[in-house]
Amino acid sequence: MQDFDSKPEVARVGKSLWSDAWDKLRRNRLAMICMVVLAVVALGAFFTPLLPLQPSDNTVTSRDFEPPQLRNKPSDYLKVREGEEFRPLTLEDIDQATAAARVIRKELANVPADDTERARRLTASIKDAIQKPFRDAGFTDMGPLSRWMTRLRIRLFGDYSLPSFAGRDSLGRDVLARVFWGARVSIIVSIVATMVSLVIGVSYGAISGYSGGSVDAVMMRIVDVLYSVPFIFVVIFLLTILGEEQLKKQLAEYGIDRITIFYVVVGAIYWLTMARVVRGQVLSLKKELYVEAARSQGAGQARIIARHIVPNVMSVVIVYLTLTIPRVMLFEAFLSFLGLGVESPDVSWGMLASEGLEVINPIRTYWWLVVFPSIAIGLTLFALNFFGDSLRDALDPKLRDA
Amino acid sequence: MSPRNLLSILFVVAVPLAGIIWSIDASRLPPADLTFNNSTEIKTVDPALVNGQPEGRIVNALFEGLVRLSPQERLPVTGGPKEWPGVAESWEVSEDGRTYTFYLRKDAKWSNGDPVTAEDYRYSMRRFLSPLTAAEYAKQGWYLVNGKKFTSAGAYLVPGDRVEVELNLEPGEHQTKTGELVKGTLMRKVPETMPKDQKERDKIQQRFYVDVDGQERCYVVTDPALGETIPDGALACRMVMLDFDKVGIRVVDPHTLITELANPTPFWLQLLGFYPLFPVHRGCLEKYGAPDWTRPENIVTNGPYRIGFRRPRDRVRLVKNENYWNRDNVRLETVDALAVEKTTTSLNMYILGDVDWIQEPPPNLLRELMESNPPRDDFNPAPQFGTYYYKLNVDRGALGDNRVRRALSLALDREDIIRTAVRGPQQPAFSLVPPGVPGYVQGTCAPRNPQLARQLIAEAGYPNGNGFPSIEILYNTHEAHRAVAELVRKQWQQTLGITVKLRNEAWPAYQDRLRMTRYDVGRQAWIGDYIDPNTFLDLYVSDNENNQTNWSNEEYDRLIADAERETDAQARLDILHNAEVLLMAEGPIIPIYFYYSRNMVRPHVRGFYNNALDFHPLHSMWIDRSGATVNEFMRSAKK
Amino acid sequence: MIAYFVKRFVWLLLTVWVVFTLTWILANFSPGTPFTSERSFPPEIEANLRRRYNLDKPAYVRYMYDLDNLLRFDLGVSTKQVDFTVNELVALCWPVSASLGLLALAWAAIVGLVAGVVSAARRGSLADFSLMSLATLGIALPNFVIAGFCILLFGFLIPLLPPAGWGGPRYMLLPAFCLGAPYAAYIARIARTGMLDVLSQDYVRTARAKGLSRRAVILKHALPTAVIPVVSFLGPAVAGIITGSLVIEKVFAIPGIGYSFVQSAIDNDTPMAMGIVVLYTILLFTMNTLVDAAYTWLDPRVSWDDV
Repeated sequence: MQDFDSKPEVARVGKSLWSDAWDKLRRNRLAMICMVVLAVVALGAFFTPLLPLQPSDNTVTSRDFEPPQLRNKPSDYLKVREGEEFRPLTLEDIDQATAAARVIRKELANVPADDTERARRLTASIKDAIQKPFRDAGFTDMGPLSRWMTRLRIRLFGDYSLPSFAGRDSLGRDVLARVFWGARVSIIVSIVATMVSLVIGVSYGAISGYSGGSVDAVMMRIVDVLYSVPFIFVVIFLLTILGEEQLKKQLAEYGIDRITIFYVVVGAIYWLTMARVVRGQVLSLKKELYVEAARSQGAGQARIIARHIVPNVMSVVIVYLTLTIPRVMLFEAFLSFLGLGVESPDVSWGMLASEGLEVINPIRTYWWLVVFPSIAIGLTLFALNFFGDSLRDALDPKLRDA
Repeated sequence: MSPRNLLSILFVVAVPLAGIIWSIDASRLPPADLTFNNSTEIKTVDPALVNGQPEGRIVNALFEGLVRLSPQERLPVTGGPKEWPGVAESWEVSEDGRTYTFYLRKDAKWSNGDPVTAEDYRYSMRRFLSPLTAAEYAKQGWYLVNGKKFTSAGAYLVPGDRVEVELNLEPGEHQTKTGELVKGTLMRKVPETMPKDQKERDKIQQRFYVDVDGQERCYVVTDPALGETIPDGALACRMVMLDFDKVGIRVVDPHTLITELANPTPFWLQLLGFYPLFPVHRGCLEKYGAPDWTRPENIVTNGPYRIGFRRPRDRVRLVKNENYWNRDNVRLETVDALAVEKTTTSLNMYILGDVDWIQEPPPNLLRELMESNPPRDDFNPAPQFGTYYYKLNVDRGALGDNRVRRALSLALDREDIIRTAVRGPQQPAFSLVPPGVPGYVQGTCAPRNPQLARQLIAEAGYPNGNGFPSIEILYNTHEAHRAVAELVRKQWQQTLGITVKLRNEAWPAYQDRLRMTRYDVGRQAWIGDYIDPNTFLDLYVSDNENNQTNWSNEEYDRLIADAERETDAQARLDILHNAEVLLMAEGPIIPIYFYYSRNMVRPHVRGFYNNALDFHPLHSMWIDRSGATVNEFMRSAKK
Repeated sequence: MIAYFVKRFVWLLLTVWVVFTLTWILANFSPGTPFTSERSFPPEIEANLRRRYNLDKPAYVRYMYDLDNLLRFDLGVSTKQVDFTVNELVALCWPVSASLGLLALAWAAIVGLVAGVVSAARRGSLADFSLMSLATLGIALPNFVIAGFCILLFGFLIPLLPPAGWGGPRYMLLPAFCLGAPYAAYIARIARTGMLDVLSQDYVRTARAKGLSRRAVILKHALPTAVIPVVSFLGPAVAGIITGSLVIEKVFAIPGIGYSFVQSAIDNDTPMAMGIVVLYTILLFTMNTLVDAAYTWLDPRVSWDDV
């Protein structure tokens, strides 16, 4: 019970609080293991395009429901179709595509400004031209960084891809690749959604707590009322409404797609608890002597918030972050179960897990479809939860009820 | 708080819990003779409002039309010794094939003992066609003379027509009641036509000037009871429509009914045996009103069963109707229809013996089931009269080009789609009409030809798919539809080099998009309601609401209209063939596969027959656990 | 105390109104009409339908109609199951979900609490580690994956329990287990931290020093305080577990209300959606209120003025 006795004084701000926490965390072996796991998952997801994985959208229909393989088969490698034949994907293909895109871009520059229809068409062609070699090989559409990493991968590994260690799904796609590419979507969705909730929650809670009085009362009543809103419902409605074709087109012009909507909507839900916790923290900090002292010395509001309140609130926020990310991931899985998740060919862990559920039956279970995505989700969320708990213990045991 | 307090908390939780468990245990029903999974919660048991197969299975057991369809071939039963006729004992067809005279059996009774009369059928037909009922299947009654005109309320009325004005109900009366009818002659409508636009239409109240016994009255459809105002100089009414006496259904005497058709319709008897045209009990409807008349304790039926118990999303329990005229031949006393939606769950229940018949095992397992060794004694897929296809919105940029549409069709590898995404015995489709209509030759499109497809798309101005505007495949959220869409996307992308995206929507939003033609490529499946090419080909005439492709072709419309009037059966089928050839050449639709039924039926279920419409009436089934013979379902199976 | 409940009731009415209005706006702006179906109607019939559903009237008029109906507890007829009024559907489905939820909650609370206390009492032992790992796993896997494995395990490999359906108490066990699993895990973790917190407090150590047995200290002195955070978790959990059982209901084919809850939003079944949302709001609000009230009972330091 030793470490529960030494409650850190709230007044110990800045470095000492963090280094103290780090010392404690380091002593917790499980927390360190979890941290390593999380780092591996994050790095793996980030560098997925660099790894010699099969393309996630490469359907090899002759190999549907193939169990895990330890050896390579010819259709594992990166290939593009030429006429009726297949040949390896090379860097030249990508260079040619880039060159083709450049030609169209020149053409686009000469299009008169009032011919928007033609300009729109050419812009679409540029995108198609750039993505073409990747699409042909079975990749989903990629951003510049991913494309650059894929080029590097081809330079490093050629057309080599790992065998289907995790088997293949109903359309003959490599499950291992799908788990990796799914990690990117799931992790980004949950991090961004959590960030959105963080921004809303922290600012709302801070304003409420710092203002105090009737403003605080009204703001907290609003939170109380919102607590009783069934949010699953709101999310489903919003996803349907914002998916409306007209609206979707307008949104798409600003680069907003279903996933982006998802970030915002989900983020807008999870801020309530955050706001409450932050407000509580701010309220208690406000009464602390050193804040009073700073104020009496004539420090401005902004300065007090920035120098004294924010660093102290950070610990709550970080703990909350590690515990919200798993919840958002599960929520994404839930929406995938309902068919409201990401749209194919994009893939997320939730989608893989709900596809896995389809094959759990007593006649024939394609176990690899459910086991590997489950391991990925389970391991990540397990690590996040444990790490979050340890972090909370290390940073401030008083927060345990939060 | 002490441990004693903790105990008291446990007590507080445990007592209601025990009570609930006990009450559920008490409400447990004894097992039914036959339990089957009806796949989904039914929308209603009202024959006029049903719209799907799950509802059809229940309605078919509760009510009985003039004609019954045989469980083997699903064709009208004439009344042989072993057959199962409907309420009409016999009928006569006039020379020109347009007038049917039905003679009703005298011993037919409703479940409350009332006799079933010709008036019941006329009343039910009026209710079915009435614009106030808004039956989705109303089209099935439009083969009657003036059927469509009656349903369309004021839309097609012209001055000089005999009309009936249905007055508003008294406050407190059930909406199921028919208001008082005032008959007269229409003099004029103001305005003559209603605007097409919904918003505009909502603002206008159309006035109907009707001559009632030499006196001109002005009627407006409005209801002051709902807080609406009656315009000056007008009378309020519920609806103005054609006089129902002008519609081709007439009562001669309580046991003789005549139907008059606009055209000779060879499938009219099949339609009469199809659930939308089944009768309802007027007294029951008017006494209880909707939805109370469908309660187990209130409902009055004239079929082999009545409702014994119903719990939403759980089950409908059917109990034998002791007043049914043919009760001695009904062998199952109770039947449970479950509403399990997930195919895996449904299969689990089937395997453990909780359910005797499921309609759809999980698609992932179809091949497993077909190839199982030793062969299964409870799985026997059979061709079904339905087609799965994609339709193209021809108003969308590149899809307006016939070459592009043909290229899309030519680029598809249907065998691969069936093998990987559908995984069943389904057959690749190259025509809209499925095989199985005697005497009909399908009009087909060309099979897979990637070179030609690429050539066509290049001719259309998109060599290698360059510059082709991206298209989106719209489908309703379902595992199986997604698999097909993903493969089609892949095949188009690989073969033609074009950009294809997917979009899934929940059912209502999906339907809405199709209807407003806000899509590029849309998934569609059509299951025939009766065995005739017309049930498919009629969909693509210009003014059919289900066309939804913006494709319109005068030649095609003319051919379909010609076929309707044609009296010679073979000549009619030939005209329909020409129409389909035209449709496939124009290519607003891309057929993918023809349906197969995928029932799993336990060996002890007897009287279950495979047929093209996947129609399995419950009254013909019985249970035989002796296992002495192979049941009817498996007899046709390949060894 | 009475003043407190009166105040909360006024807040409840306000909350219901806000939620109703919010949902109403969402429902009335989502695509698709309530009578969307496979066979589309000719415009004349559709005009009639629009009139029947009051869709031809301006939005504020419809809103007033609907609000008026809500005040009279008349929620209309479901557009997807036209044989039932919303009130009937709720009355028929709600007890199913409620009993399943209560059973799930009962096992979650009991098992979670015991596991939490045991693992706190034996902190750092193998039992602690494995219990907490199990609990974290319960939180870490999507509900439907757990359900899938349970069905395979207990329905087929060890055929003890029916894998789906609704017929008697036996049918409740497996779904209740799966529904309660993540909640049991949460409760175990909360109870453990709560317990550890209390065990480090002075009065507990004093009691121990006075020579009371370890068991007595834990049960008599530590447990009551440690239970408080669990109670505050139970409030929202009760509402969530009773209405949020959608996934479990779908996988196990249980005729509860959780399924209707989400399906009505997806199906655009506005009357049903409004009805369930209002029910859910009332439930959630009541639970939160009861939790606040429970503090005064559990924790002598909290008075009615504080909550």
